[in-house]
Amino acid sequence: MAPRLAPATRLTFRLPLRPSSPAPLLLQTTTQFHTSAPQHVKSGWSTLPPRAKPTRFNQVTSGLPAPTTGPAAALKRKAQSTPVRAGVLAVKKGMTAFMGLTGTRIPCTVLQLDRVQTVLNKTRKGHGYWAVQVGFGERDPKNVGAPMLGYYEAKGIHPKEQLAEFRVRDEKGLLPVGVQLMPDWFYIGQRVDVRSNSRGMGFAGGMKRHGFSGQEASHGNSKNHRTIGSAGPSQGGGSRVLPGKKMPGRMGNQRVTVQNLPILMIDNDLGIVVVKGAVAGPKGCVVKIQDACKKPPPPEEFIEKTMQALKERFPNAEEHLQAARERHLELKQARREKRIEEILAKGWEPTKEQAEMMERAAAEDGHESLGEQATL
Amino acid sequence: MNVAPLARRPLGCLKTTLRQARQHKIFSRSMATEVQATTSTPKSPPSQGPDQNFYRLVDKKTKSVRSAFALYPQPLAAAGKPLSPPSTTNPVAALHEFQIKKLDPTGARTALFARTREAAKVGDILLVTHRRGGEPFAGVCLSIRRAGIDTAVLLRNHIGKVGVEMWFKVYNRNVAGIEIVKRRLKRARRARLTYMRKPKHDMGSVAEFVSAWRKSRRVFQTKGAKGKAGAAAGAGGKKKK
Repeated sequence: MAPRLAPATRLTFRLPLRPSSPAPLLLQTTTQFHTSAPQHVKSGWSTLPPRAKPTRFNQVTSGLPAPTTGPAAALKRKAQSTPVRAGVLAVKKGMTAFMGLTGTRIPCTVLQLDRVQTVLNKTRKGHGYWAVQVGFGERDPKNVGAPMLGYYEAKGIHPKEQLAEFRVRDEKGLLPVGVQLMPDWFYIGQRVDVRSNSRGMGFAGGMKRHGFSGQEASHGNSKNHRTIGSAGPSQGGGSRVLPGKKMPGRMGNQRVTVQNLPILMIDNDLGIVVVKGAVAGPKGCVVKIQDACKKPPPPEEFIEKTMQALKERFPNAEEHLQAARERHLELKQARREKRIEEILAKGWEPTKEQAEMMERAAAEDGHESLGEQATL
Repeated sequence: MNVAPLARRPLGCLKTTLRQARQHKIFSRSMATEVQATTSTPKSPPSQGPDQNFYRLVDKKTKSVRSAFALYPQPLAAAGKPLSPPSTTNPVAALHEFQIKKLDPTGARTALFARTREAAKVGDILLVTHRRGGEPFAGVCLSIRRAGIDTAVLLRNHIGKVGVEMWFKVYNRNVAGIEIVKRRLKRARRARLTYMRKPKHDMGSVAEFVSAWRKSRRVFQTKGAKGKAGAAAGAGGKKKK
């Protein structure tokens, strides 16, 4: 408040420009910000930001507020409902009960993780959105096509059984490539969304598929007990079937999301995440588990702890990825030049850095895994 | 082993003979330990030979290698750290075992419905006592649903001439005790005795069996507990913890 005196001197200089000002003291604070505003506008007002001086390089949208449609706007709009962290892939192993010590019984579903690894980070710049691609299990390379073999070669990981993508809010959700996500990626009591394909029912009639009532058994009904009734009004109503009319057809085998399921138990050794309640799909189906989008994200401390654990378990994931990329480029070039048989004959010779890395990896192999066993 | 020296020196050579036998043993053991010795050598870095770590796409007609891709074996995936696959492919059973160990430390509940001769069977009359008070429920066991921690039994009785059926979760903490009041004379030849709901086969009330069983229990009770005996016959009996 002390330096108020200095602008007051400037005020005396500016006063003649705005002779109609009723409150010179208020003006004193505002005039400083509007010096660049066009002085010739005497009447009218606008809450929009001042337009830039038009030049030939200006776009037509220059100075207008940011558009409410388009990719950037869509990302911003969906940011709130996009989870902060990536999720994991798992297999539904079946349902059972979770018995409490006070006599409570909670029906639960057992989901098992098997060598869940991060494979790729998708960025706003490169792909248009932020996401983490995650792989599950292990696939025999003979069942993998050449393009995908090259893809895994460049990532430095073994071909995975399943790949899936998890959208994340921003770059803070991206993960190092090649690290394994264990059940302790979640905590007990956390709410998660579980996505999976429901059990396929095949071609089903209206009664089963949409819960129609069917028709009566008697009163002159003939051979139309489970058929759907009318498909719509006749002449006067348009004489047409309205779009979206519920009819018989393929039922099930659709992606179903069960929201806000609490986690009852995690176990790194068994690789299980036990969630309360049911999850769509038969036993053995692949499910995606991610932080619930309609609940607040996990606490900052927990996120930091999990990221720290990843770093401790896989300290040189980045180096490994870099080595794999370089080797991939060499091999790719060799494949193009039909030199791959030479390489196969003499064997691959690691560069100095790669050899060092391998040595370090071999040394670390003997260590106990740092994974902390989740308390049961 | 050479037996000749043993014959020449009947007793005095016992020491030598034993030593010879021992040496023979050592010799045989050293053959076995030879394999072990190699494993104790320091770990060699993962082999990157020409044959492993490459998947070859072979032309079927010419049998020539069309292309090849580097493979990263799963254990060495992320920077040398082994990726740990789950220890079991049947985690539901492991979860059952873990919970049963916690909820049934003595194993009495498990034993009562195990597939043994002594265990309870369908057709037996069972009496279930609740932890949360209320009358103990007795009834004929219509079916046993074995599902690990979720194992349950279905009891049927008549209360006020109305058929009543109740499911009980065997491992639930609220089930304080389950006792066999009367065994079925002949083994039931069905897993689920649903036919016992039909009027022709319905057993009706099992109250008389329960009261007879209580009377027989009272004989063994002490005088001090006699006053309570009627009310606490079910609860006072041998509890299945």
